[in-house]
Amino acid sequence: MALINSDSKLSEIILHDASTITVLDRFGIALGVGDATVADACRTHGIDIKFFTTILNTYINENYFPQEALEQFSVAEIVDYLSKTNDYYVQNVLPNIERHFSFLISRAPSHNNNLVLMRQFFDEMKSELMQRINSDREQWFPQVCNSENEARCNVARAASGDDVPADVIEDKIDDLINILIVHLKGDYDHNLGYAVVVAVLSLKKDIRQNNRIRNRILRPISQALSNGDE
Amino acid sequence: MVMNSVKSIILTHDTLEALGLRCLLSNVFGMDAHIGDNVAAQVEPDIYFIDQATLVEQLGFFLPRKAKTIVLTHGDVDVDDMKSLNVAVGESDIINSLNAMLETHQQEEHNSTALSAREVEVLRLIASGRINKEIAQELSISINTVLTHRKNITTKLGIKSVSGLTFYAMMNGIV
Repeated sequence: MALINSDSKLSEIILHDASTITVLDRFGIALGVGDATVADACRTHGIDIKFFTTILNTYINENYFPQEALEQFSVAEIVDYLSKTNDYYVQNVLPNIERHFSFLISRAPSHNNNLVLMRQFFDEMKSELMQRINSDREQWFPQVCNSENEARCNVARAASGDDVPADVIEDKIDDLINILIVHLKGDYDHNLGYAVVVAVLSLKKDIRQNNRIRNRILRPISQALSNGDE
Repeated sequence: MVMNSVKSIILTHDTLEALGLRCLLSNVFGMDAHIGDNVAAQVEPDIYFIDQATLVEQLGFFLPRKAKTIVLTHGDVDVDDMKSLNVAVGESDIINSLNAMLETHQQEEHNSTALSAREVEVLRLIASGRINKEIAQELSISINTVLTHRKNITTKLGIKSVSGLTFYAMMNGIV
């Protein structure tokens, strides 16, 4: 899809990629968008148009990552978006996957140990994700926001996205999907199996997109700010 | 045919030829195709697409990689015993030839996805919580050999994390 701008219609954005519904939701925009454009929605909901279009474009296009534009936004704005993303995982995505898994296991025609093991693997990944979310909420986000109030530093100084360690959570989600798709055995309800895979795939996409914002934008800012404190 | 796990690098002197091929590979075959400028800087792909000039310039590099190299030709030219793709024909002919070549490539890959007895042994030790050094000692092999086995296991199963490998091993009665 061509890059989204202030004249793009919300309905067309959603029709092109339905997973943007969850991103719009983080900005307070629900379904029933009528023929509102991005500019209309931003006016109604008090959203910064540039921030909104940048986040949406980054989300839709894997290859689009306007590092410089993203670095111009305030830390508060980025932290607010990432917090809402975390809330969305906790309140919607994780319970949704759990619900699908429970159905998949309880409705299998015969006991399938593979499904139980996959659920355990998911629980392990979930507990790591929850730890990260809690530490964001209690330590990292407040810390970055506080230091920004004290001094606005030259972000570019510390900006180096290359030394970001491989993401353990992303790896585990990839593995979970791979095992489900490639290596799953035994009896199960195919429709419910499909529901689990789709739910995990949507989490994977969201986490990958948001890790880019975490690791390449917020982390360098946070490093620059803490260097400035020393 | 969707081959999005297959990575390819295109090295040609003709930029438009490279752009066209990349477009075909990614749109028709769903392949992860990149245009490169030199071989050394790239991560080793599954397939190289090169023109004849690149082959001549870097023969030493491509000869050992004959199995994964496809030479682009203009006309029915025989390039020693390397696989070649005539690009001076119609679009559907190019797609048909590519399809046949990639199918063969996939079959060759498929034959090599089963774990060897040694790899199963290494996987069993990984799943029971051993670190590389312990695995090396237990099997009387070097750490480098352990790393190679691990890399092959990950490539064959498509599973990267220790937890993922452990669950795979449990699902398959390896531990």
